[in-house]
Amino acid sequence: MTDAKTLAYINLYGILGTLENLCELDAEASALAQVKRPVSIAFSVKGGPDATLTFKDGRCRMEQGVNPKATVLLPFSSCEKFNGMIDGTVTPIPVKGFHKIGFLLKNFMKLTDILTKYLRASEEDLKDPVFFETSTKLMFYLIAVAISQIGNNDSIGTFSASNIPDGIIEMGIKDSVAATIRVKDHHLVTIKQKPASYRSKMEFGSIKLARDLFDGKVNAVACIGEGTIEMHGLINMIDNLNRILDRVALYLA
Amino acid sequence: MANIPIIENHEKSRELFSKATKIIPSGVYGHLGPAEGQFIPVSNWPLFLTKAKGSYMWDVDGNKYIDYMCAYGPNVLGYGDPDVDAAAKKQIDLANCTTTPGSIMVDCADLLVDTVATADWAFFAKNGNDATQGAMMAARAHTHRKKIIFFKGYYHGVSPWQMKKDYPGVLEEDVCNNIILPWNDIPALEKTIEENKDQIAALIAQPYDHGNFYDNSFPEEGFWPKVRELCTKNGIILIVDDVRAGFRLDLAGSDHYFGFEADMICFCKALANGYNMSAICGKEFLKSAMSSLSYTGSYWLSAVPFAACIACIEKMKKLDTPTMFRENGIKLTEGLRKAGAEHGFDLVVSGAPALFYLRIANDDSMVLHQEWVAEMVKRGIFLASHHNHFMNASLTDKDIKHTIEVGEECFKILANNHPELF
Repeated sequence: MTDAKTLAYINLYGILGTLENLCELDAEASALAQVKRPVSIAFSVKGGPDATLTFKDGRCRMEQGVNPKATVLLPFSSCEKFNGMIDGTVTPIPVKGFHKIGFLLKNFMKLTDILTKYLRASEEDLKDPVFFETSTKLMFYLIAVAISQIGNNDSIGTFSASNIPDGIIEMGIKDSVAATIRVKDHHLVTIKQKPASYRSKMEFGSIKLARDLFDGKVNAVACIGEGTIEMHGLINMIDNLNRILDRVALYLA
Repeated sequence: MANIPIIENHEKSRELFSKATKIIPSGVYGHLGPAEGQFIPVSNWPLFLTKAKGSYMWDVDGNKYIDYMCAYGPNVLGYGDPDVDAAAKKQIDLANCTTTPGSIMVDCADLLVDTVATADWAFFAKNGNDATQGAMMAARAHTHRKKIIFFKGYYHGVSPWQMKKDYPGVLEEDVCNNIILPWNDIPALEKTIEENKDQIAALIAQPYDHGNFYDNSFPEEGFWPKVRELCTKNGIILIVDDVRAGFRLDLAGSDHYFGFEADMICFCKALANGYNMSAICGKEFLKSAMSSLSYTGSYWLSAVPFAACIACIEKMKKLDTPTMFRENGIKLTEGLRKAGAEHGFDLVVSGAPALFYLRIANDDSMVLHQEWVAEMVKRGIFLASHHNHFMNASLTDKDIKHTIEVGEECFKILANNHPELF
């Protein structure tokens, strides 16, 4: 039902990519990214994705591919091994950047712990409204990125993507976060910001509703009828996007 | 121009929908619901009705609409047509759902065989999906082959094999024998048949491409005769899904309208003016395969819909509804198109006038079109932004004139709301 390669793309660009947003939204995370000299960690997954995370001035940025100037290089022999690192069952061994092992073991591990706290939030933590909002925003960004990875890699997801016409899909939460999903020749790219214009748009009416949708507590079709999810534009783009969205839960379970 | 009232009250609809979502999945599911029905924004649309008569329907808040969706097709003579309803009432006093079927079933089959060009027999069921599913099974039973050819953008029902592998509840195995080809592409069809020699059971298609979200498209010159020739030559059963267009283009079937003969043709929507039945009509050589199927349902041979069907077909013949729909459809869509042009909007009209599809082409996102349709609905003209519409025989010249006037008013509002376009 799921495949290791798609999961590796989600884990790298989606899960670790959400560190960008974590450092913007959480003061403790930002402090951990506040380093004297920039640190960049490159992940190279054989048969899968490559990306480099750079921590600088309390912020985190991800770029696709292995930056040759990266301070730390973490190679993985397979998608399964990389997914194992995310699950905590595989310990990565850097081939470069031993002098930054401290950052990797302390700051980076702490950052991923904070991220996990938000992405696998407990009912107790979610009672705090600030935590609730941050957690939901991070979930939103993760899901928005995961949609593109599933649309580009998963065998069912690529079929759904093959039915999406070219153009920009805006996906967002009202008065909160938004993302752009750019479709070109059935290839999807997620940009974690609101587009200037769109060909189709899907907006969740509130942070609370978005959370309930992510947690599977409410049904999206009923929400459209209630008017708490709004759609505009070329609806067949959203229709096929939602088929991919259905598979996100499968990978993030 | 007459004063056009604006509908703003949907309080009871909203209340009822809220209750419905608690006890019915999605509140209203499927094409009649606000999600699949593309009610954008949902606040402009009625969600439940109290009554319907002729071309009109009244929602639970008392708002009146001219309905151009016609229950997505079944309303062909007008809601509550007196002749069809009288025939149904007469039959219900005699018998309806019984242990052996009413004799009227044979009368209904007789009428279909006389009316439909390709029909040597008629097989009855309830929904369009039952008909397309039965036709596919008969094709497989006859040919002992697995594969089915579809044309891109197809919709033939809701059985797993008719859907796509990314639909919830559908397995890849359900659709692994489906081959999807582009519409109007004979070389692609020839290549596919060559590559799948003796493996293709059937080709199923609508008589023209009346898919959703895009301009509807007729077969190119010579397309259907060539498809017919290739199917015959290669032992492929040619199934026409006339569920949507059937009896609106031609009472002898849409294959007859386009100048070819299907091996089997599936009907539903316009068959009995809203009484629930569907039918497969087919050629003699497939009767044995159809007979061999284990395929039935509790209500498939109920007598009341047969009575309604007979009355409906006889009235459609008497009125020559295909000609009426074509003429009225042209009158209506030409009026709307001109009204749009007067305000700078390019309203593209496609498909058969009896099942016209509309799209404002000034942008590529459908946003303008959705806004215009929403304004129309707000003024009592029930349209859909994503789907073809349906003509019915009760629609009057006065209704058409009023619709064009409302259309003109809504184009004016759209122009005022979008000064950036002009």
